[in-house]
Amino acid sequence: MAGIFDRFANLVAQRQAMLDEGGSDPFQVRMDEVLSQTEAIIAGKRTILCGTNNYLGLTFAPEALKAAHDALDAFGTGTTGSRVANGTYSGHKDLERTLCEFFNKDSAIVFSTGFLANAGVLSTLMGPGDFILMDADCHASIYDGVRASSAEIIRFKHNDAADLDKRLARLADKPGNKLIVIEGIYSMLGDKAPLKDIVAVKKKHANTFLLSDEAHSVGVLGRYGRGLPEEAGCEDDVDFIVGTFSKSVGTVGGFVVSSYPNFDMLRLVCRPYIFTASLPPSVVASARVNLGLIKNGGALRTRLMRNAKALHNGLTEAGLKLASDISPVVAVVAPDPQTAIAFWRGLIDAGVYVNLALPPATPYGYSLLRCSLCAAHTEEQLREVVAIFTTVATNLGLIERRTPRVALG
Amino acid sequence: MTANGELSPDTFAAFYELLKPFNKTGVDLKPETRFSEDLNFDSLVVMEFVATVEDRFDISVPMNILPDIATIQHLGLAVEKIVKAAKG
Repeated sequence: MAGIFDRFANLVAQRQAMLDEGGSDPFQVRMDEVLSQTEAIIAGKRTILCGTNNYLGLTFAPEALKAAHDALDAFGTGTTGSRVANGTYSGHKDLERTLCEFFNKDSAIVFSTGFLANAGVLSTLMGPGDFILMDADCHASIYDGVRASSAEIIRFKHNDAADLDKRLARLADKPGNKLIVIEGIYSMLGDKAPLKDIVAVKKKHANTFLLSDEAHSVGVLGRYGRGLPEEAGCEDDVDFIVGTFSKSVGTVGGFVVSSYPNFDMLRLVCRPYIFTASLPPSVVASARVNLGLIKNGGALRTRLMRNAKALHNGLTEAGLKLASDISPVVAVVAPDPQTAIAFWRGLIDAGVYVNLALPPATPYGYSLLRCSLCAAHTEEQLREVVAIFTTVATNLGLIERRTPRVALG
Repeated sequence: MTANGELSPDTFAAFYELLKPFNKTGVDLKPETRFSEDLNFDSLVVMEFVATVEDRFDISVPMNILPDIATIQHLGLAVEKIVKAAKG
């Protein structure tokens, strides 16, 4: 009889081969101490964190820490219940009100993670006879969410508004509603959606709505940190915004905001909302405070973009191949998965943590050393990151060893 | 996919051409050739191939039908059905 895990045999073999080479396991990193937003102790070594999606560095914001401590003392360590049972405290409602004010939308629903927000909203928003048109590079949570939907699911080419237009035109005589699903910033390469073009396409077609997952762009884009819709000046044309508290907001949780009439009724049908325990009060309190800091965080965004530019330019000048433009996500391309793993190990051994991202989780089959910047990175830290990248890449033969310049005479 | 019927020679010929760059191990392509077992496609390559099929036939293939697609014949028949529906 076949074993229940036999179908994963290839995956297990690949993983074993990776471990047999020796060195640390990229998918089992353990932080023993977190020294700051940008440094931790990993395997006994002080390590610069350059892959934590902690874009604004708010995980240790004193105001948020205090609010979390106060909520912890007043309301305890957890709610032990779902939002629809005993898991809604005043803090959860306050947070939803704060989100409405932050995004200037009528309704906000808080979920326990960003993944659950996508899973809940995408599985319920469209129904039988409706259509979801999603960007092919959307996150796994969007794929899982739409799979649970009874709508027909169509993928369009990544960031290709013309392809989306063509696919919507094919549906012109179908009476159902159509939902376009995109992301503000795509997580692997840090590229932005062409939002204005997509909004123009949306407006051309009847019964068509737009949902944007702003997981990586809230806090990062827009004067007040409201993400790509704010930056692109088309907030009223994005009908549903999904987001997370686990990146710029510096804690954990997910949300959706919208001004669509009766949007709140989703609370009655979203299974990932109904059948999960709600967020702990301390998390809710820190998220709320950090949203305020994000709104007034222009200086943090300036620092983040300065750091993004510094790392991008530093790595480019070192001769590394990047798959990202200047953005808070910096994607360094390795020629193949084996080299990427060796590259990652070289970095961690030298004291730099980045994400190892391998196909099939990456677009175009890229093997990536994915970095993400933090507003709290110092120039010195980034110089160190560039220097270590350069050394490791040189040792791997990915860039030419530079001959030291010798002064003549 | 439970749809029966023969794949038209034209559709198969089109698939034969489209599959060439994906057929890394030089498998002998027949209508009953399986994407996963015979061509060694993972889910991502299947999606990529479906995208080239969509371009070639100027259609959208809904993701919902993919779990039922195992062979060239399955996908070919589904494409023929979508093309026919589009023509009205």
